[in-house]
Amino acid sequence: MMKPKLLWLQSITCNGNAHSFLNHPDLFSILSHFELLYHPVLDTAYSLKDLNEKTLICDILILEGSFKAQGVKKAGVEVLDVVEYYAKEAKHIITAGTCATFGGIFKAHDPQNISGFCYDEEEQTSRYKKYSSKLISLPGCPIHPKWLSYVLLMLANNKKIPLDIMHRPQELYNITVHTGCSRNEYFEWKVDTKGFGLKEGCLFYEQGCQGPYTRGSCNKILWNDVSSKTIVGTPCFGCTEPTFPKTALFSTKTNMGIPAYMPLGIPRRAYLTATGIAKSFKIKRFEERIIKYEN
Amino acid sequence: MKIKQLIEKIEGEAELDFTFEKGKVEDVQINFGFYRGIEEILVGKDPRDALVITPRVCGICNHAHLLAAVRALENGYENAGIKINITHKANDIREFTLACELIQNHIKWFYMTIVPELEKLLKENNSENHALKASYLSSTITKALAIFAGQWPHSSYAVPGGVTCDPTYVDVIQAQSLVDEAIRFFEQMIVGMSFERYLAQDSLNSLHKIGGDFGRVLQLMGINEMSQMGYSYDRFIVFGTCMFSKPGKSMATTVSNVDVRYVEENTQSMSMAKAVSYKQKLYEVGPLARAMVAKEPLIKSLHKRYKDSLMTRVFARVHEVALLLDYSKKLLNNLNLNESSCTLEGYPALKEFEGVGVVEAARGSLIHKTTVKEGKISNYEIIVPTQWNLSNGNSQEKGIASKAMIGSTTTQEAEFIFKAFDVCSVCTTQ
Repeated sequence: MMKPKLLWLQSITCNGNAHSFLNHPDLFSILSHFELLYHPVLDTAYSLKDLNEKTLICDILILEGSFKAQGVKKAGVEVLDVVEYYAKEAKHIITAGTCATFGGIFKAHDPQNISGFCYDEEEQTSRYKKYSSKLISLPGCPIHPKWLSYVLLMLANNKKIPLDIMHRPQELYNITVHTGCSRNEYFEWKVDTKGFGLKEGCLFYEQGCQGPYTRGSCNKILWNDVSSKTIVGTPCFGCTEPTFPKTALFSTKTNMGIPAYMPLGIPRRAYLTATGIAKSFKIKRFEERIIKYEN
Repeated sequence: MKIKQLIEKIEGEAELDFTFEKGKVEDVQINFGFYRGIEEILVGKDPRDALVITPRVCGICNHAHLLAAVRALENGYENAGIKINITHKANDIREFTLACELIQNHIKWFYMTIVPELEKLLKENNSENHALKASYLSSTITKALAIFAGQWPHSSYAVPGGVTCDPTYVDVIQAQSLVDEAIRFFEQMIVGMSFERYLAQDSLNSLHKIGGDFGRVLQLMGINEMSQMGYSYDRFIVFGTCMFSKPGKSMATTVSNVDVRYVEENTQSMSMAKAVSYKQKLYEVGPLARAMVAKEPLIKSLHKRYKDSLMTRVFARVHEVALLLDYSKKLLNNLNLNESSCTLEGYPALKEFEGVGVVEAARGSLIHKTTVKEGKISNYEIIVPTQWNLSNGNSQEKGIASKAMIGSTTTQEAEFIFKAFDVCSVCTTQ
């Protein structure tokens, strides 16, 4: 049986998605299902110059980085021109990372002209119509290696991936980063952390954590198999969202003392009612350190 | 004769424009393509946003950018009169995670650039999957990093006053096991001898005993006289105060002090990368520079015989892996979890400050400068290590890597010398 041909192309990027994928503990067993035509870091049979010849065809196209119609050249050829050639022939297009999906961090340098491949933040780009039938969005800055391997292996096995309205796999993005967070009890009882560097307390009220309204499975499928931002006390910055990056990322935006953004799908009135009740109790356990080390 | 060569898979691409004269490289211009404007993106943002934005300069050395950014903020707060006292614990955790990133980087460079490129250059074919070794060790060590930093790449766990994590000994023990696994790999695959025996070497007389993949590389380089090519100016500079290294510059046999205020950036025609110099002179940065300034015995011994040759440069980077592993182990052994992780409470309401942060990143000294006005970033400067090594020089001198390539008889040989500097295109043109 012929292996599906896999092609990884980059535009305006930091290489973070390529390196994140290299962290996958089963990297080479995953890649063994494919014929890898080109990858920005791994050794491959073809070079950028070969790709620019436009004589190859790929089955699965992985895109990394944000796009600009003109002025981003590799080996003397406009990247977008080459990418569109392969996109037309590919059976599946995976936009790997927030840059390729929505525009991401690099969009800010030239917001009028830089965008994702099929989305410009939440808006569809002119390319959307052409490619939406084969588009799979994998936002995240960077992508999680296991999110990508899940998609690749589903495609290799001809399985259908349930997608949401923005073409994100539901199994990865229909939960929030808050799901599985080790600080959940503190969120339930509205106990704020007393500052950075503590395992106790929730980061949603002061420290800017966007976990409750950010789509992603960071706390279900852990990073590097061991941890996540919120587990180590860093707020979620909403890096999978079309709006990434917002500003003042280490502080919570509030209106009259209430977080300006509600947990995903929760009406403000419901949130305020639940908060009012939770806050009316003082739970001793949540005021104490979890572990007391002796000096 | 002019030859243009596109160099790929160096965290992006670069173009080398060679001028050959009588069969040898007489001159070479190094050009980097695309500029992403990270410094400009930061203008107008909250000062702490740099902790999230700047790691995105680079997928392979993002953690060094985070630490440079946090040090720039801390330095700025101190300049504005706020005392920052970081605990030993927070400092050691930062040092540990940075060491992990350097190990990850050097190992990828060794197995995914040096070994396969050397085989290609010398037509020494080998069917082994070197990238498999690279990904095994790099994913093992980034896992240890992520225990404290949450994830790699693109963590933002270092904040003014310390770190956001509050690890338990369950975490520390797990990280120790991962470091031990990395050491085991180093012993069995890289040098083919025990870690203790490797570290005990202090002169080049024992180098022939090194086995494993490093031994094979040394042998191939030795036979092919790579200890007599790739010379640059034999001038080194280090600005970071961390790790086993200290700041200073090394010229001939003397090491002297440096001050980051004398670092100067200049734009270059034809390339999106800016050149950097220190008091108008060019210096090499990176593992060889760190070893020379710190007077690391084994590297000094190698340098005495082979100067700043290709061989010495390659050796210094692999050798640094051993030093980093040893250092990481010590850092974890001495962690006292009873100390606080972050000593700065709240967020100082400072409207104006200026700060500089310096870090010894994988490729050398990384400098961040932040200027804050009216509570927002008004200017941000990032000077990356590859700007030192890969610039096209100034009116008096050719660049460090260009100089090293001069005299090469083929573009392939020159390309290998170039890649031995551990090129990173995305950093060079932020």
